[in-house]
Amino acid sequence: MPVDNGLSISSSELNLYYDNYHALKNIFFDVKPGEMIGLIGPNGCGKSTLLKTINGFLKPRSGIMIVDGKEIHKSSLTEISKTCSNVPTEFPPDFNLNVIEVVMMGRYPHRKGLWWETEQDEVIAREALAKFEISHLSKRNINQLSSGERQRTLIAKAYVQEPKVMLVDEPTSHLDMRFKLEVMEYLRDLMEKERGMTIVIASHDINLMVKYCDRIILVKNGQIVGIGTPEEIVTEENIADVYGVECSIFKDSTGEVIVHPRCSLRFKD
Amino acid sequence: MKEQEESLVSQGKARLAMVISLGLVALLSLFLISIAYGPVPMAISDVWNSVLNIIKNGPQTSSERIIYHLRMPRVLGAFVVGMGLAVAGAVFQAVIRNPLVDPYITGVSSGAGFGAVIALTTVTIVSSTWSLFTIPIAAFIGGLLAFFLTFMIAEGSGGRAINYVLGGVIVGMGFGALTTIIMMLSEDKIHQILFFLFGSFTNMSWENIWIISFPIIILSIIICFYARELNVILLGEEQAQQLGINVRKFNIFMLVMASLLTALCVAFVGIIGFIGLIVPHTARMIVGGDHRLLLPASMIIGAILMSIADLIAKMAYVPIELPVGAIMTLIGVPFFAYLLIRRGKGYAS
Repeated sequence: MPVDNGLSISSSELNLYYDNYHALKNIFFDVKPGEMIGLIGPNGCGKSTLLKTINGFLKPRSGIMIVDGKEIHKSSLTEISKTCSNVPTEFPPDFNLNVIEVVMMGRYPHRKGLWWETEQDEVIAREALAKFEISHLSKRNINQLSSGERQRTLIAKAYVQEPKVMLVDEPTSHLDMRFKLEVMEYLRDLMEKERGMTIVIASHDINLMVKYCDRIILVKNGQIVGIGTPEEIVTEENIADVYGVECSIFKDSTGEVIVHPRCSLRFKD
Repeated sequence: MKEQEESLVSQGKARLAMVISLGLVALLSLFLISIAYGPVPMAISDVWNSVLNIIKNGPQTSSERIIYHLRMPRVLGAFVVGMGLAVAGAVFQAVIRNPLVDPYITGVSSGAGFGAVIALTTVTIVSSTWSLFTIPIAAFIGGLLAFFLTFMIAEGSGGRAINYVLGGVIVGMGFGALTTIIMMLSEDKIHQILFFLFGSFTNMSWENIWIISFPIIILSIIICFYARELNVILLGEEQAQQLGINVRKFNIFMLVMASLLTALCVAFVGIIGFIGLIVPHTARMIVGGDHRLLLPASMIIGAILMSIADLIAKMAYVPIELPVGAIMTLIGVPFFAYLLIRRGKGYAS
């Protein structure tokens, strides 16, 4: 049933269990179209679980998740696939696939023929390759790509799916500092040009999230403990509370916020 | 760069047409060569004329009768079985997302071996038409039984692809042990048992060909319709579901199809290993990972490789026939070792 609430993602009273483990507790949050949201919190806090609940992969025990006006857990897989796309952390084993083949798979939800993609699919895929500057790699085996190229391939795949919401899990974990910045720039650029596309990124890199996201959702033990602008959420108190880390937060000479972890509270006498 | 200009789809179609036409030429040549070489050698040009004559008038001379009753079904059997095992292998590799699995991963071969051994040792063969099929039927049922058990274990333990691998290993070992025990208790039948366990096309007849070729071809074609889904499944279960595929249902459907195909292939000719593993690999090296090209290429290469292995099995040690499964394994082992050494690092993660 369509719900016209003008929001991109809206979740209320959502609870999710893995068997008896209460993984997400009473999740409430709203995201407006065209926002870039950073999801942060320690290992095992439920960030990935939350992403998998937004795209309908995991079913909550109670509560609702409305994505782009559709109650996601009552939508068909095809409907979901045209609404959300995600950039995975895992990559396929060596099956001799090349870059353009992987990107074209993103067109699967929009398939028309039985076997072959249409000319239009191909135009969209080629545009995506150009946009993410991987056109020259189009015929390269995906297992021979660098981490940065690989990440851009997966983002291009998610992009050609033409989603309303793009979910990105740990986009920068294996990247060097230049690629980290570049991936975030690509995502930011994407969000600004595709009006109304919402991007949710789960990451451990707090500095990047603060730099690029409009709002931050802070998760601890399956609960959302804070939602707000980076300045509101990323405070020394919150970091100490959620991560158990003592840190300094300051601005560098250009005015950018830097989070510098100093020590684990556990090792502090 | 001119290649970049041409659309991928038309490139794909052109390559598919090339694979099929080259493949058909190769298969026709192998068909004639396989008929020409046997205990009684014939000239290829005679074979061509004889085959035309058989198609027109039926077998007349004694050599035409050899061609018609012995050599034609044998080479056609090698073609369809090679094709079926190659397609099944490609499907299992995609669904389990591991390029090193073969069609016997769900225990079908062990179950079929067990079924055949039971039939060989307990049923006395009377000369009616049905008794000719006792062993194939028992092998087929055994294969499906093994798959069913694997299925129950895998679904009971979560239903992910890895559960099928583990379930298949367990079931395969169980049937393997039972087969060994029965073999030890029936020494007089050991030759026939070994013949089944290593595979042979010696007993291929036209009846067998009719029974297996239609289901194998139909199942292979049905699988080809799902080539795009098989591509998407390579991205992982979550990604495939995210792109709109009901992964659980799709995997079960594909595993059932591929297991049926495997059981059909082994029922009449026995357990021929390695082909279902190396053919999709070879095809992937030649045409790439897209299943729309990979599946047709696997079918053709499977048929080619199986008929070559059978030719070697038939001719290497005349007049004794060698088991084709052993020949295939001898071809496969160096190939597989090479693959592991050259590309094994990619499989570790």
